[in-house]
Amino acid sequence: MSGKAFIPRDSLGAALDRLSKKIEVWVPAMSEEGRWGVEFLPYRPGMRPVLDRQSTLSPKRVVFPQMETLLRFEYIKDPDDPAKVKFRLDDGQEVKPQFVFGARPCDVRGFFTFDRVFTEGPFVDGYYRNRRASTLFATLVCGEGDAACFCSSVGSGPADQAGSDLWVTPVDGGYVVEALSERGREYVALLGDAPSELQEAAARKVQEEAAQQQVGDPDLVKSAPSFRGRFEDLDYWRSMVSQCLGCGVCTYVCPTCYCFTITDEGKDLKGERLRSWDSCMFAQYTSEASGHNPRPTKLERYRNRVGHKFSYFPEKYDGMIACCGCGRCIRSCPVSIDIRKVVQELKEKANACA
Amino acid sequence: MFENATKQLRETVEAALPELNTVVGWRAGYDPLHMTPVFIKNAGDLSKLEWSPFCVQNLSGYLVKDPAVRAQDPSKKIGICVKGCDSRSLVALIQEKFIERNQIHVFGIPCRGTVDWRRVMKLGPLTGIQSARVEESRLVVEDANGGHTFALEDVLARKCLRCAHPNPVIHDVLIGEPVTPRVAVENSYGEVERMEEQSLEDRLGFWKKELDKCLRCYACRNACPLCVCQDRCIAETREPRWLTQRVGTSEKFLFHFIHALHLAGRCTECGECERACPMEIPVTLIKEKLNKITLELMSYEAGMDPEAVPPLLTFNPGETGL
Repeated sequence: MSGKAFIPRDSLGAALDRLSKKIEVWVPAMSEEGRWGVEFLPYRPGMRPVLDRQSTLSPKRVVFPQMETLLRFEYIKDPDDPAKVKFRLDDGQEVKPQFVFGARPCDVRGFFTFDRVFTEGPFVDGYYRNRRASTLFATLVCGEGDAACFCSSVGSGPADQAGSDLWVTPVDGGYVVEALSERGREYVALLGDAPSELQEAAARKVQEEAAQQQVGDPDLVKSAPSFRGRFEDLDYWRSMVSQCLGCGVCTYVCPTCYCFTITDEGKDLKGERLRSWDSCMFAQYTSEASGHNPRPTKLERYRNRVGHKFSYFPEKYDGMIACCGCGRCIRSCPVSIDIRKVVQELKEKANACA
Repeated sequence: MFENATKQLRETVEAALPELNTVVGWRAGYDPLHMTPVFIKNAGDLSKLEWSPFCVQNLSGYLVKDPAVRAQDPSKKIGICVKGCDSRSLVALIQEKFIERNQIHVFGIPCRGTVDWRRVMKLGPLTGIQSARVEESRLVVEDANGGHTFALEDVLARKCLRCAHPNPVIHDVLIGEPVTPRVAVENSYGEVERMEEQSLEDRLGFWKKELDKCLRCYACRNACPLCVCQDRCIAETREPRWLTQRVGTSEKFLFHFIHALHLAGRCTECGECERACPMEIPVTLIKEKLNKITLELMSYEAGMDPEAVPPLLTFNPGETGL
């Protein structure tokens, strides 16, 4: 096994058909034919993956669904003795192996933020860990950055292989696929025949060009001191946050935002405990039982969002920024708020103050 | 052609600025197809102010929802830039006493339509967009591969293609000449009529399919200038709890129809809910249906007359038409 394959462009469907017989496959596809938006959907024969632009929604939900059932519970009354009630609990989780085909380096990098929190701390989140361990990524060498992309600003880049199992390079006429992990290697032969030398050379050229690209100008690493320094500069935060509408779209499209809420949803004697996405931009997020809310306005909420990604997280996790530079929060923001600008000006003005 | 309008807007704002707290307008965003709101406080910021068909946002909601805008010197007015559709939201907010007419200074801009960036990108492909401008009835975009020309009709927002009120209905000063409306309001509900021709089952199927895509990010709600409940929205209240955290269509359906019903006879069809939706769900269409009913039954059009009382905010025992 060479660990490499070539998928002719017009055989991509056939290759994915073969792959999807072995394993559940997710591909970026149009949520509705004829629209711009792309999301990761379970692959079904006949579906056309959209590989020429970044998806609107990241593949976050493949590993961390917007809602998942943590457990199911039921109270069972004894008809002969109504005072006796049995309690039944089912906390089983069904996880199937799955393959994400057509992610981008930023999408995959997003899961590193999750990993630190959900699997590497004193408490391991079994639900996340199981699904994460069963998910493989075939990642595209990225060539379609736009003005909102800034992966290089956060220490990644369009040819960042970290976290991927297969490396997919678009070349003339198709895709050159190569294995980056042992798990990925098992699936290469399914996807196509070995590439020719010419195809391999073309792929190397694309990869080298991608590796040279600097996507995003500002350097956003090591922003924690400037954030701390200006935490109480309310005029700065007010000027940055005035436009914000306070919706949660930035957090829901974000590959690294991992905050969730847990609720018991039930009726009569049966119910479920659900975990679902939450957003730090919502008022309820920090609402306390007393009615007090320590983050009463969008200023405190937005400042927390920036601080979490660029200060609190790196301070806690060896300098790692909780942002993968995909630019989705900028692109999907109804008022085009640019988080790069907020962090960059934080640094510039902090320097000016010093 | 928009350089002149921008120049005129800046000059007009500059002249009024000493008497105003802040002027809410638009400035360049992260790429040439995007603008972002700007709060002009002093003359030094005037060069940021822009007007072009990329100025999509309806800014009137800030007057109600932004604490910083509201907490300013009450002896001075707040300036705001509005297109025709945006001005109707101002009227609705005045009617409902969220703002006072004499507290605002309205820079009204007759509008020939705004560009929907997603429609442009779909027609692309565009990479590395360097500039974008509207010339008469064309959009010209320059990207890494050269110039691309699009017919304006193909890239305007859906709401603009059915616009009956391109000229601000209230203003203190008008920037540019009034423009001719595309359609009369009676003829602006073509898409609703096409929906009405479908069977109830098909309509239900359509909305179930569309609303299933909803993320419940609430961008539609927060972008709406008339969704004034803000942090008290029933979509999120805990006591009582109307919606569960389930992601099923029924929860999303309930939210969107509560949203729409709260806007019945109030919605001015500015289209912000639809524009803000990351999943491109045509949510304004639900409100258009309700407005069509309001127009047919009560001959009322929201956001046209600051003195009028919206029909669902009053009780008239002699109501006719129902």
